[in-house]
Amino acid sequence: MGKRKAWSPILQAGLAIGAMGIVLLPVFLCQTPWPTAARDYLVQHGQDESGAINLVSAIYLGYRAFDTLGETIVLLVAVIGTMGLLSRVESLVNPIGDDDNSIQTVSAFSLRGEKRSSHVLRTHLLEVVTGKIGPIVLLFGFYVMLYGHLSPGGGFQGGVIIASGIVFLALGNQQDNTSVLSKSSILGGIESVSFLLFIVVAISGIFFGKGFFGNPLADSAYPVGFIVLMNSIIGLKVGASIGFMCIAMMGGHD
Amino acid sequence: MVERALLLCLLLLGFWGVVAKKNIIKKIFGLNILNAAAVMLFILEGNRIGTEAPILESDLALVVDPIPQALMLTAIVIGVCVTALALALAVHLYQITGSFDIDTIRERVKDAT
Amino acid sequence: MTTILLILIVLLAAYTLSSRDLLHGVIALSAISLLSAILFYILQAPDVAITEAAVGAGVSTVIFVWAIRHSQRKDDNHG
Repeated sequence: MGKRKAWSPILQAGLAIGAMGIVLLPVFLCQTPWPTAARDYLVQHGQDESGAINLVSAIYLGYRAFDTLGETIVLLVAVIGTMGLLSRVESLVNPIGDDDNSIQTVSAFSLRGEKRSSHVLRTHLLEVVTGKIGPIVLLFGFYVMLYGHLSPGGGFQGGVIIASGIVFLALGNQQDNTSVLSKSSILGGIESVSFLLFIVVAISGIFFGKGFFGNPLADSAYPVGFIVLMNSIIGLKVGASIGFMCIAMMGGHD
Repeated sequence: MVERALLLCLLLLGFWGVVAKKNIIKKIFGLNILNAAAVMLFILEGNRIGTEAPILESDLALVVDPIPQALMLTAIVIGVCVTALALALAVHLYQITGSFDIDTIRERVKDAT
Repeated sequence: MTTILLILIVLLAAYTLSSRDLLHGVIALSAISLLSAILFYILQAPDVAITEAAVGAGVSTVIFVWAIRHSQRKDDNHG
């Protein structure tokens, strides 16, 4: 049986995009007003039920805490997958020599100690500046994380800023002064322990009669303490995960 | 209305990038653009019913809808995880076959097996 | 203001997908994230703006630059 003549790629792509556009057109043309019932309920009862002024924090740690649990699981899976793939990318472990037929790899930002003097892009300027800014960014990340219930911020936001701070600290190693936060064993440990703590805190709501992910402090004087605790745990988890992935990609894993 | 039309353009651009480009890194660019377009659509729609940010400082302001914002926080972090995994896969494929072009990769994988 | 930002984002996205040099595409993607962070702030969503700025212009750009560093930088067939 002979092979059919394939359609030209431009026609195929055009048909696919046209079909997608037709399918999505009702989404972009509908004129029904956005419902306001959720916003009204949250404005009236959100602060009483969770204690936080920031309504977004009250939602993703109180009313929709399962979404946060799912997101931590997705982070864990992504880190596992990336580490599994990176352990097979050979150039991070054994730098390939420079014969012209094989693949030329240049890992200019490699974090290994022995590469420090040979890499032209690891200038003294980069190391000094990032090493000094690193702790400040980390401090800012902790501030954003802990004030999530009073101002814009929270677990996710503070976590990604902490991840950037960890990358700065890893880039700014001077001489043999490696920061303890750039070792992959410590970061992996922080991530696993905070995931475990997250589950433990979620289960503790059952023992106080409020259900899974319920607020065990709801009847005491400071119901917002639960939100602060969860924000810290989420922030540490997200920060350690993303920092771990970035440092492993730049060649610093052992 | 104009904003919705522009967001439809952005979505179709991202989709074109995933479908029609031959370079794997361009496909991953398209994935990122799709993600950004979806997030922008939600936040834009949630903004229509109010005028203030959803932080209850004074009682009399009409706040925007906080639920799409809480959902999009999770979506953005998951998007970066997907991008990291996709890039690790792309670099692994480059180490094995020596090219980012999907036609070349398909030929070389077929020759190797 | 939102319309102007959206037009800029669409133009940058078109440039990202059709640039010959992959590194130029990465910088344009980072600019898209920055402009969308400003857009989220204008649309009264400060939490999403912080997350998008830290993730898009920070972590995502770092991992893209890593991937391009470990392989080639040119888009060979301008596909």
